[in-house]
Amino acid sequence: MLPGVVTLAFDTSGPACCAAILSGETIIADTVEQMARGQAERLFPLLDELLSAAGLAWGDVGRIGVGTGPGNFTGIRISVAAARGLALSLGCPAIGVSTLDALAHGLPQPCLTVVPARRGSIYLQRHRQGEVHAPETLTLDELAAAALPPVPVCGDVANDVAARIGGTVVRPAAPHAVSIARIACARAADTADRPRPLYLRAADAAPASDRPPAILP
Amino acid sequence: MAQTLTLLGLESSCDDTGAAVVRQAPDAQAEILSNVVIGQDALHASYGGVVPEIAARAHAEKIDIAVEQALAEAGLTLRDIDAVAVTAGPGLIGGVLSGVMCAKGIAAGAGLPLVGVNHLAGHALTPRLTDGLAFPYLMLLVSGGHCQFLRVGGIDNYTRLGGTIDDAPGEAFDKVARLLGLPQPGGPAVEAAARSGDPARFAFPRPMLDRPGCDLSFSGLKTAVLRARDTLAATQGGLFETDRADLCAGFQAAVADVLAEKTRRALAAAGPDLTALAVAGGVAANGILRERLTGVAAAAGVAFNAPPLYLCTDNAAMIAFAGLEAFRAGRRDGMDLPARPRWPLDTASPALVGSGRKGPKA
Repeated sequence: MLPGVVTLAFDTSGPACCAAILSGETIIADTVEQMARGQAERLFPLLDELLSAAGLAWGDVGRIGVGTGPGNFTGIRISVAAARGLALSLGCPAIGVSTLDALAHGLPQPCLTVVPARRGSIYLQRHRQGEVHAPETLTLDELAAAALPPVPVCGDVANDVAARIGGTVVRPAAPHAVSIARIACARAADTADRPRPLYLRAADAAPASDRPPAILP
Repeated sequence: MAQTLTLLGLESSCDDTGAAVVRQAPDAQAEILSNVVIGQDALHASYGGVVPEIAARAHAEKIDIAVEQALAEAGLTLRDIDAVAVTAGPGLIGGVLSGVMCAKGIAAGAGLPLVGVNHLAGHALTPRLTDGLAFPYLMLLVSGGHCQFLRVGGIDNYTRLGGTIDDAPGEAFDKVARLLGLPQPGGPAVEAAARSGDPARFAFPRPMLDRPGCDLSFSGLKTAVLRARDTLAATQGGLFETDRADLCAGFQAAVADVLAEKTRRALAAAGPDLTALAVAGGVAANGILRERLTGVAAAAGVAFNAPPLYLCTDNAAMIAFAGLEAFRAGRRDGMDLPARPRWPLDTASPALVGSGRKGPKA
C-alpha cells in the first residue's frame, strides 16, 4: 500500500497524450506520447498501462487532475469528459488545471506563461506573487502595446514572446502532467467544481444570415 | 443462460445530451428505468440550426450530469449496472467524442464492459424496446439528420432500400421555418402553421417520384418554397399569415406525398415476411405524415408501429437498449473504441451521401 492519496493526472490539449501518477507527493509514473491524432483511442489504454506498471488498479485512484487547455478544443474535451466520467465512477474529485497554470508551476515569479493559439495569436497569463491575473488572448503584434514587463517566459511560443518583450526563455519546472497532478493536490481541499474546458475563444458561429420576410397584418 | 441485464446508455451525437437506464429480464419486454434528455434548443436558437462547436461544448459539460440524474431516477448505482452503452457514431464528432470519453471513464472506474452503439441502430431497434417487435420489419428513419428505409433483419442485419440523396426532411422543415420567420425547431412550427393552410394553393414539386426506387430528395423542395416566398414578398412587400400557412401546408403535403409513395415502394421491395412498418426520428412526430403512413401500411396489410414521440427523437434509452441487445449477443468493445462521424448501418449498399476518403456518411 502506497502512502497518501493516489492522484492520476492527464492532458490531451496538445499533439500528445501525457499522464502522471503521484502517491501523496511522490511521483511514481510519468509519460508523454506524441501524436497528432488518436488521443481519444489511446488515452485509456495508456492510463491502464501506467497504472498496471505501478502495481495499481483503477480503484486505488483517489483524485483526478485534468488539463483543461487552452489548446485544441477537441483534445481538451477528450480529457475533460474522461475525467468527469472517472470522477463519477470512482466517486473521487476531478480537478481541472489550465495549461497556463501548469507551465507556471514551480517557476520563480514574476513570469509569463504562453500557449500558441490559432491565427497567429497566443494565450498568455501573467503570474506574480500575491496577484491573480486572468488568461488573455493576444496577437504577437499586440504584445508590444501590452506593456508587459521583461520577465521569464515559459511555453511553446516562449521564444517569440521573449524576443518581443525583452524577457528570457525558461523551461517548465516539471513534466506537464506532473505539474497538473501537483496543482490538483494543492487545490483538492478547496475545489468542488467539476473540470471545465478553458476555451478562451467563443465558438465559431454566425447568426442566421437569411432574414425572414416581413409578416403583413 | 439468459440473465436479466441492466444497461446504462449515453447519447450525445447531435443537440440532445441523454443518459438512460434500461433493464430486460430473459424473454421479457425491456423496461426503461430512467431516460434523461438535456436539450440545447435555446443555445442554438439564434443561429437557425445546430452549431457543432456549441453542441460539443454543451455535451462535454452535461453528459456526466445526465448520467448522475439517470442513475438517481432509476434508484440505482453503477454497482447495479451490467455494461455501459454509448453512441459511438454517426453524428457531430465533438459531441460523440464527449459521450464516448465519459463512457470510457465510467466503464474504467466501475470495472464495467463498454459497448459502442451505432446511433441509427438505436433508432432502428426502438420498436423492439417499446413493443418487442419481431424481425424482420421495415424502418423508415426520418429525422433532422437522416432519412432512410432500412429492412431490419436482426440486431446486426440492416439492408438500406433507399434514402435521401441530399437533405433530410427534418433539415428541410427547419429551413422552411427559417425562410418563413417561424421558430426553431421547424417541424412543430411548420406543422402548426400548416393547420390553417391550403395545401393545394402552391404547386410544389414531388422530387424523385418520377424515378423508380426508394431514394428521395428534399433540397429542391426547399428551394421551391424559397422561390414562392420571394415572389410573394416582391409583389406584396411581405407575407400575409394566410400565405405563410399555405406555404407550410403545401410544403408539408409534398413531403408527406413523397414519403408515403416511397414507403409504399419500400414495403413492396422489402419482402413479404415483414412484421410491421415502423417509423423513428423526430419527423415521425408529424401528424399528417403519421396519418399517411398508417394508410400506406394498412393498404399493404402490415402493422404500423410508431414509438411515442420521446422515443422517436434522440434519446439514450434507445442506445441503452441497442447496447443491451448487442451485449446479450456477446458484443464488447475495447477502451480504444473510436468515435466515428460516419458509420453506415448497411455497409454493403452503395453510398447515397458522402463518399471519397472518408466513406459514406450513414
